[in-house]
Amino acid sequence: MSRYLLRRAPSALLVLFLASVLIFLVIRAIPGDAAAVLAGPDAPPEVVAAIRHDLGLDRSLVGQYLHWLGGLLTGELGRSYLIGGDIAELVGDGLGNTVVLTLAALVIAVLVALLLGPLWAATRSRWVDRALTAFHTAAVALPTFVTGVVLIIVFGVVFRVLPTGGVPPDGMFDRLDITAQYLVLPAVCLGLPVAGVLTGFLAETLRGELRQDYVTTVRAAGVRRRDIVLGHALRGALPVAVTTLGLQAGALLGGAVLVESIFAWPGLGLLVEQGITRRDYPLVQVLLMLSVAVFVLVQLFTDVVHAWLDPRIRLGATS
Amino acid sequence: MNAVPRRPVLRALAAAALLLTATACESAVDAQTRSGGASAAPRAGGVAELGVNLDLVPANLFTNSNVSITTVVGLVYDTLVRYDRKSLTPAPRLATEWAATDGGRTLTLTLRQGVKFHTGRAFTSADVKFSLASYTDPKWNGQLASTAKVITAVDTPAPDQVVLHLEHPVGNLFDLLDTVPIIDSATAADIGTGKRFVGTGPFVFDAWRPNTDLRFTRNLDYWGGAPYLDGVHVRVIPDSQSLVAAVKSGQVQLARGVGYRDAESATAGGGVAAIPLEGAELQAYVGVNVTSPGLDDPRVRQAVAYALDKERIVKEVYRDKGYPVSLPWPRTSPAYDPQLDGRYRHDVAKAKALLAEYGRPVPEIPLAYVGNDQVAATTAQIVQNNLAEAGITVQLTPVDSTQFVKQLIGAQFPGLWATNHSWAQFTPSTLTVSAYPFNARRNSSHFSSPAYTAAAENAWQLPSGTGAEATAAYRELSQQLLDGTFLAEIAVVFEQIVVRDTLHGVDWSRRRELDLSKAFLA
Repeated sequence: MSRYLLRRAPSALLVLFLASVLIFLVIRAIPGDAAAVLAGPDAPPEVVAAIRHDLGLDRSLVGQYLHWLGGLLTGELGRSYLIGGDIAELVGDGLGNTVVLTLAALVIAVLVALLLGPLWAATRSRWVDRALTAFHTAAVALPTFVTGVVLIIVFGVVFRVLPTGGVPPDGMFDRLDITAQYLVLPAVCLGLPVAGVLTGFLAETLRGELRQDYVTTVRAAGVRRRDIVLGHALRGALPVAVTTLGLQAGALLGGAVLVESIFAWPGLGLLVEQGITRRDYPLVQVLLMLSVAVFVLVQLFTDVVHAWLDPRIRLGATS
Repeated sequence: MNAVPRRPVLRALAAAALLLTATACESAVDAQTRSGGASAAPRAGGVAELGVNLDLVPANLFTNSNVSITTVVGLVYDTLVRYDRKSLTPAPRLATEWAATDGGRTLTLTLRQGVKFHTGRAFTSADVKFSLASYTDPKWNGQLASTAKVITAVDTPAPDQVVLHLEHPVGNLFDLLDTVPIIDSATAADIGTGKRFVGTGPFVFDAWRPNTDLRFTRNLDYWGGAPYLDGVHVRVIPDSQSLVAAVKSGQVQLARGVGYRDAESATAGGGVAAIPLEGAELQAYVGVNVTSPGLDDPRVRQAVAYALDKERIVKEVYRDKGYPVSLPWPRTSPAYDPQLDGRYRHDVAKAKALLAEYGRPVPEIPLAYVGNDQVAATTAQIVQNNLAEAGITVQLTPVDSTQFVKQLIGAQFPGLWATNHSWAQFTPSTLTVSAYPFNARRNSSHFSSPAYTAAAENAWQLPSGTGAEATAAYRELSQQLLDGTFLAEIAVVFEQIVVRDTLHGVDWSRRRELDLSKAFLA
């Protein structure tokens, strides 16, 4: 396993390096810079020049890149141009909120998939099949900015049972019951498409497993259908579902940008969006690098889990 | 062996969990909307919940540029004087008396005694000197910096006395004193990082969580009397639909940055009112690059001004929260002259006649605006339509907000641009020395004219911003603006705040800074 990991490491590092160059250049290719935002609409040129100098934007591109890379390697992420705070602190706070939201969404998605996937694969009722097909199609097809607004209007404005957005005023861990109420709408909104995809994949893989010869053998031995699905077929279907889940983690992070904006959830998505709009280069660079790193790590992690769940891969890797 | 039946046990557990949840949990909605009723008797206590669509940019604290900044400045800081919203007569605030001598070159101010900063330190004349000096630092880009730089020396003969020495008299000195927030020198370094904002105002800044919220508690030692509210909690809600939903659901009692159409929908259900910030007017305008082919002829620029259907823009875009104008001045301004202001009324025939007089075809003109700003986008489309009626083809070029500001301050717009400006609600000369689109020395329009520069300087260097001499100077300035037409004013418009009927006594300054010192929840 460790050799398997070592073999993967150089390509992962190369991806990270290329990503750092690309991110650095792409954000600077967008016209307009942070100095203009900080200077505001009534600033004379000398003010803009002073701010550019202050931010180090008057240095050469290579110089700026090396300075940033040096900081990154030494753990000094710098200060945000616009928010003014330490980037490590900002990203830490945002990351905490995003992780809470993403994990909640992931839990909802996994629970829904584990409940509905086997049901869909095993059902003989046409109505259940239709209902689940409808759920799958709606969950995959409806964009989060539609489900988000609908959820807010129904539960926040019409029935007024849940907050329309934001985070608990006294912090996430002050009152868990209050936190749960703030979390439920954004988490459902974010988790729904993933739940749809995951349910579909799991059901389809289960159907494939149920057609395997060993299932016929088990059935001939008189094992109940429910036990066949949950005890035998599910074990065979899970590795594929886990890989799908890994890929969907990316979708969750991408979806978080919109969901956080709709529900005023102060996570990384909102930070990225603001950072790009206001050309907050250091902040955006760190955030995008973080996204790339998370992707690389998640892929690595799912490969490992996959290898652990599937002996064929594990044996192939160690032989 | 008899196994315990699984299904009934699971059911019982689920029911118990549901019951527990229902009884033990407090509703997060109730926790936010506890105060109810609409009675108007002042009552102490409660935290006002506010929603804003933009987050704070600490480095822009002195620029009045967004709703979070104007909220923080209004709650935390005081100024030396304060204009009321109808006139430009300064009223005492941290300065209680003042006297001008030496033909307007010296101003002696007496300061209020017993005022304390939120840190407990006593406010003195040294803080006035420090605040005025900070304001001229280019990194803060204070918009009245050109006026602040006229102050050559600040003497502090006593803790409660400040003497300002001016290079030459300026008619807008009190605009500066109404604008500069008095900051605490000991903690000023924390402003840029957003860690601490220390002033002498009615509310004490507690904390800022970027992209999340700002918290304030009441200043019990406030010189104007402790506020009724225990505190203020400002939530950052960037999505416009969510902001409206937050007001409708009662999660916030006051929202800033709600769009004009959204405000209509928010108020439709009752219990919510949209209040235009009168006295803190903004101006919607179309800027003109006077070096662009075609637009380099004043007749074409005047044709543009005549072609604009301002009534339609006010009605459709600003939902009647404003009125059409030809000049930047609001009706309360000493420079307002109905006759001059009526010059460019919607008149397509006149626009066509001016173009005919010009005699050559006008090339296609690009019109820049902030693409994701609904107000700017709709305005640009109407302008395109209006100019097409007169025979001018306009190409819409949406850009993002940062690029727009960069092009504006870099004077890089190739043709026309649509946006808004401020500062015409103050002494008229403030506009021509502070607002970049009007700056006589260098502006986004590339416009320069000795007559305009002279008129602007003359209006500025008056010992008083009001009176017969000032009125004549403003008239000349207006005349120059109308003749030059380097920007075509559309309308005086108002920012709106959307307020629930549970929050009373909300006030604001001429710079849209929120004043909740007398606000209360009923």
